[in-house]
Amino acid sequence: MYPRWLWPAFAIPGVVWLLILFLLPFYAVIGVAFGNIDPILQTPIPAWNPLNWNVGWVSHVLNELTPGGVYWDVFLRTFRYVALSLGGCILIGYPVAYYIARHASRTKSLLLILLVLPFWISYLMRMLAWINLLAPGGYAARFLAFTHISDLLYHMGLLSQPNNYLGGQSFTVIFALIYGYIPYFILPLYASLDRIDRSHLEAARDLGASPFRAFWHVTLPLSKTGLLGGAVLIVLPMFGDYYTPNIVSSAPTTSMIGNQIDLYFHGGPQPTIGAAITIILSAFLVVLMGYYMWTIHKSSKELVA
Amino acid sequence: MAGGEVKLIALVKQFGDVTAVDGIDLEMPGAEFFSMLGPSGCGKTTTLRMIAGFEQPTSGQILLDGEDMAFTPPHKRNVNTVFQSYALFPHLSVQDNVAFGLRRAKTPKNEIKQRVADALELVQLTGLERRKPAQMSGGQQQRVALARALVLKPAVLLLDEPLGALDAKLRKALQIELKALQQQVGITFIYVTHDQEEALTMSDRIAVMSDGRVEQVGPPSEVYEEPSTTFVADFLGVSNLMRVVAHGDSDGRCRVTLGDFELHASRGETHTTGDTRIVIRPERVHLEPHESSGENRVPGIVERVVYLGNSNQIIVILANGDRVQALVQNTGQELTYKQGDPVRVYMPSEALRVLTDTGTAPIDEDALPPVSSVA
Amino acid sequence: MSQAVATPAAPKEFTLWQRIHGWVTNPWGKPRFLVLVTWGYIIWSIAPVLIAIQFSFNNSRSLTVWHGFTTKWYFSDPIDSIWHNASYRGALNQSLKLAALDVVIATPIGVMLALGLARWRGRGSGASNFLMLFPLVTPEIVMGVSLLLLFTQLFTFVNTGTLAQVLGHVTFSISYVVVIVRGRLFSIGRSYEEAAADLGASPSAALWLVLMPLLLPAIVASAAIVFAISIDDFVISQWLSNGANSSTVPMLIYDSTRATPLPSTDGLATVIMLITLTTVVAGVAVFRLFTRGEGGRGSAVDDVAGFGM
Repeated sequence: MYPRWLWPAFAIPGVVWLLILFLLPFYAVIGVAFGNIDPILQTPIPAWNPLNWNVGWVSHVLNELTPGGVYWDVFLRTFRYVALSLGGCILIGYPVAYYIARHASRTKSLLLILLVLPFWISYLMRMLAWINLLAPGGYAARFLAFTHISDLLYHMGLLSQPNNYLGGQSFTVIFALIYGYIPYFILPLYASLDRIDRSHLEAARDLGASPFRAFWHVTLPLSKTGLLGGAVLIVLPMFGDYYTPNIVSSAPTTSMIGNQIDLYFHGGPQPTIGAAITIILSAFLVVLMGYYMWTIHKSSKELVA
Repeated sequence: MAGGEVKLIALVKQFGDVTAVDGIDLEMPGAEFFSMLGPSGCGKTTTLRMIAGFEQPTSGQILLDGEDMAFTPPHKRNVNTVFQSYALFPHLSVQDNVAFGLRRAKTPKNEIKQRVADALELVQLTGLERRKPAQMSGGQQQRVALARALVLKPAVLLLDEPLGALDAKLRKALQIELKALQQQVGITFIYVTHDQEEALTMSDRIAVMSDGRVEQVGPPSEVYEEPSTTFVADFLGVSNLMRVVAHGDSDGRCRVTLGDFELHASRGETHTTGDTRIVIRPERVHLEPHESSGENRVPGIVERVVYLGNSNQIIVILANGDRVQALVQNTGQELTYKQGDPVRVYMPSEALRVLTDTGTAPIDEDALPPVSSVA
Repeated sequence: MSQAVATPAAPKEFTLWQRIHGWVTNPWGKPRFLVLVTWGYIIWSIAPVLIAIQFSFNNSRSLTVWHGFTTKWYFSDPIDSIWHNASYRGALNQSLKLAALDVVIATPIGVMLALGLARWRGRGSGASNFLMLFPLVTPEIVMGVSLLLLFTQLFTFVNTGTLAQVLGHVTFSISYVVVIVRGRLFSIGRSYEEAAADLGASPSAALWLVLMPLLLPAIVASAAIVFAISIDDFVISQWLSNGANSSTVPMLIYDSTRATPLPSTDGLATVIMLITLTTVVAGVAVFRLFTRGEGGRGSAVDDVAGFGM
């Protein structure tokens, strides 16, 4: 009933915008990463023609990403931070999402509002809040000292010295990453748990499954997509994070891949190496994303079959 | 308004590889209440949507008063629709919903006012002009949808399961009202439904559809009493379908053998020979004492008696293993037959109908499973 | 709630620990352990922000020790109050300017793209759908680097600063509009437009008189969300800035955490938070108001739940 050309015409401005300002910029990164560096001015000379590409800088970065290379430690650390933060998010987030989806009845709307609230509080403000709390004399610092938790953390090797949280502590960085990203993890997980038909669980219990077995064989598999979705939603940006470690630590001992990129652009004028790292990071994240989509595709096919 | 004659000629609609409508020819004379009846996926809604103009046919013609409308956009057709979901504009009041079409046609303001008022009076909604659709009950919304379509004085009104979302009691009341309304306004109603009772109550004629084809067209009594195919017999009400061997016509009746028993059927294709089916409605099956004898009587045993309120449904296993349902009116007297009683089942020849097709749809094996072990 | 633990039949006194233990593990009641974890999480996630707000009213330069209530960091302090400090005012200005421009540009483009993608069936529609999703999952630093290199190496006619920042913000905002509006489009379905056409409305009348009013709540909501994510954005603004005069509030907060934050920094964050929350609450309220009574379609609930994404 509408003319055939109408809908593509509607889509054109948006598609063109994204082509020029989202897709084309990746080509700019590729051009710089596979380009050269002006020997005198030290500025990048991009190579726009694929025939003129110089793989030197990218392979240099790849080399340094192997054991013994200058980025190897950063690379490992980033993985460790992301993995531990994800683990923390699951440990805290799953019970919360599960409770709100399954058991909260009268308080459900209130809890949902409180759950979404951090989305609309600037990430930077939420980090600033912890700086205030963890600074010497801050409420959290005083509480941790008073309860001797600080000493405990020190003896467990989680802090390099007691009562110091903001000077290059991996523990604080991971804590801040969990605090910063967990809202984005809980919400999709909650949505998938909330979608589970209660009758599945009742059927499982009816057929003699214990609460634990019902959870393990019914709830957990059915929440898999939400779990994966939430994980992807926080893991991808975490790999590109540089501001969190900068805010709560700003020490080279806690720097992540994102900090390296930030450094090459904002610290020293070496955009070519920064671009090369960006390319490698993006390629890695595309693989991660691909794996996620493949898993979702597979599980949706299983559901149909 | 005169006219309102719709003619569908060799109408076909394909969605990709799926053929939704597979060559339909139908004639609906003006001022008729015409129903398209069939199970979901039979192509009835697609046909209606093509008449409305929401879908374009793959091939074929749609003639409205002799003019081919197949490729006319919906807003240029003198045809209006009552949607299954009503599709009342939620942001507009009842008044504005009903006036919507008149405004598009640039009708003068005072005429709009008059006609909206008339239309709302017709559906007994006077006084509710300022309400929003969400503030009305399902039945009221349904009336607004009717008024919105009728106010434009279309030649044909299309109704897509308009009573589907309402509860059973309201549906019954509105069936009668709809029929009365159609006679009052005197235009063609094309009514799509999967509810056989609804179609039988309201229609002047019914087209029974299956798999994108029309199985049978006729007045309700004809379609019900004289189903021409197994599908129609089975879809319209409960039928007893039995596989038989036919031996052709003898003095106007068809001699058939059901297992070891010989029956005569005087309706349907009485000239048929070979493997075929016969059908009889449960209310035409008589139960007699085991001792009685005569033509078209087959012995059996009562398997089950089901109390239905206004009647009793008695399921009998015939001596050849087939099951037959009989419907016995509840007259207040105690039922003579109970489970396990031997009876004689009388199927009058004038109620037995010979079907020729081997059946697009098989006998509903779930409803009446033949028990071979009994035979 | 808790009387199930201490039954009158058991005269034995329970120790405090036993009572707490019983309350938490009571197998017949609600899963108390989960209640504790959930509320603990909620408090943990929100209390620090409330404390930061508290210290924006601290009558001292300290952010750790409370010295009484004052509003001087907002209004009266001649040097460091938000009202008097030029860099604070400039950052607030820049944040609001970027957000407003973002809303004005990204909302119409996104609404049209949503309509187009939802209904366009043909070559290129699949790829466009795919392209639209990517900005939602691309780490901001990758977008920041690529846009910076685009503007410094390829489109050198675009200088870093406000223009580049606006282009960047619109680029990551469009997809949010598309997701919200398209969700609403699907929940509306096509029957209203068909009804309009059936009643004689031309395609453009059906679009403007029926579809647009029905989409309006989603459009308002998506505009509110674009405003909020633009105001809260730090990475893209930072990568595409050209120094102090294009600093936004999040950038200022970032810089101050690496120097010495003052109560006025907390104050600035509080102001921005209030603006964001007001916008989002207003957006959701408008959405609810316009879609109420459409019960049964599940649209409002789904769309509001989708806001977080």
